[in-house]
Amino acid sequence: MIRMFHVYKNYSNKILALHDINIHIRKGEFVFLVGPTGAGKTTFLRLIYRGTVPTKGQVIVDGLNIARLKPNYIPYLRRNIGIVFQDFKLLYNRTVYENISFGLKAIGATNFEIREQVKKVLNLVGLERKKNVKPHLLSGGEQQKLCIARAIANEPLILLTDEPTGNLDPDTSWEIMQLLFHINIRGTTVIMASHDKLMVDKARKRVVRVERGRIIEDTQRGIY
Amino acid sequence: MIFENVGFYFREALLSFRRSALMSLAAIISTTTILIIVGVFLLISINSSLFLKNLESQLEIIIYLKDDIPKTEVKALEDNLVSINGIKEIKFVSKEEAYQRLLKDLGDQRDILNAIEVNPLPASFEIKIKDPKMIVQIANQVEKLKKVEEVEYGQGIVERLLNFTYIFRIVGILILALLVFASILIISNIIKITVYARRDEIEIMSLSGATHWFIKWPFVIESFLQGFISAILTILILYNFYFFALNKLQQAVPFLPVVWEKVELLPIGLIIIALGSLVGILGSMFSVGKYLNV
Repeated sequence: MIRMFHVYKNYSNKILALHDINIHIRKGEFVFLVGPTGAGKTTFLRLIYRGTVPTKGQVIVDGLNIARLKPNYIPYLRRNIGIVFQDFKLLYNRTVYENISFGLKAIGATNFEIREQVKKVLNLVGLERKKNVKPHLLSGGEQQKLCIARAIANEPLILLTDEPTGNLDPDTSWEIMQLLFHINIRGTTVIMASHDKLMVDKARKRVVRVERGRIIEDTQRGIY
Repeated sequence: MIFENVGFYFREALLSFRRSALMSLAAIISTTTILIIVGVFLLISINSSLFLKNLESQLEIIIYLKDDIPKTEVKALEDNLVSINGIKEIKFVSKEEAYQRLLKDLGDQRDILNAIEVNPLPASFEIKIKDPKMIVQIANQVEKLKKVEEVEYGQGIVERLLNFTYIFRIVGILILALLVFASILIISNIIKITVYARRDEIEIMSLSGATHWFIKWPFVIESFLQGFISAILTILILYNFYFFALNKLQQAVPFLPVVWEKVELLPIGLIIIALGSLVGILGSMFSVGKYLNV
């Protein structure tokens, strides 16, 4: 599903974000990306959804070469990738329902499809009763669930989540984790950047450790 | 692609109009203000251009003939004049006519003329020319003809007048260009601000996999509507203001040439509409494009 070959990424003025990254993530895997802040986790995720291009090396996502992807094709790559951001990126002037339907409209879903899909994902994350509420009235955990619901609304092949449990209490965090496992079991490849030791250790999934832009450890059923 | 979703684009555009009503209102007010400034300048410039044209059309060459000129030679001279390029109108004024004019001009003081026994005034040709810039050249040409005593065209003053109208026009065009340029900058900046306020939406749409045009259309439509509404408002305000001001002006300076014809004002309306809506369309496309590359 995702392959990286000798990937380097420099931002301007030679700050090295990633250094010789080689990885293969198979379809249906659940991968934790761990490491200290600034290690390159977010850049790693950005490469996958073509939020940035590698300075050197190849990134292949679902058969598409990211570096050579024509701008016209970027939207079609992204339709297969759901993204949950650290800073949520919710639209606070729209309701819970509209936040999800917005993305679906953007990819040309019909009204019927939108109604069905929004209902389905709201049920899945347990927010169906809050569908007419604006996001600022939701708790942190609920906002995170809304982000996940939005990310999976068009049933993507890959779900990228950046610190989804960062600011949540352990119980809510575990609830979010259960939700992600559930999505993973249904076939979606999930990559989760995190430094939530508790969750990583409890989950016992593949753990890829990144430090100063390099992968220094990659273990199946690993711990933080 | 665009036709499939036209309904969606318009709904989104109108929705965002409503959702950010204050922002839209601010954008319309500021765009209208800029357009009014441009419009007022355009109105002033077409009127001053009319004034200058009027001034220039009054320029004429007067050819005084020698006193001993026989009628046949007058005719020959007139034929000669007709053959000169750039002459619009030739009028012969005989000695007698000139005398009558003088009498009329003098009015109550006509008694002065009693002291003179013979008519001292020469016969003359009054020539109107097509292009005021040609006046000196034509005058020089005419001077060389036979039986011409003297040529008068307001030497010295004419050159200064033409110089003045030339500079006036150039400066006008420069100011207009500057104003249009400034208005384009300001309007596109206003749009930039309205787009900036919604950069999150653009980013989310882009990350959800919306195509660039899908994201742009609602913004383009919205900015077009904003620009168009501003232009219409501007035209309504200027239209009323213009004819009101014209009436007042006419009372104060009755003979001032001004543009009354609505047809002649039409280009100004079109320029304002083009400025408002085209800049809206282009500005929004560029501004949205900037937030698309996430």
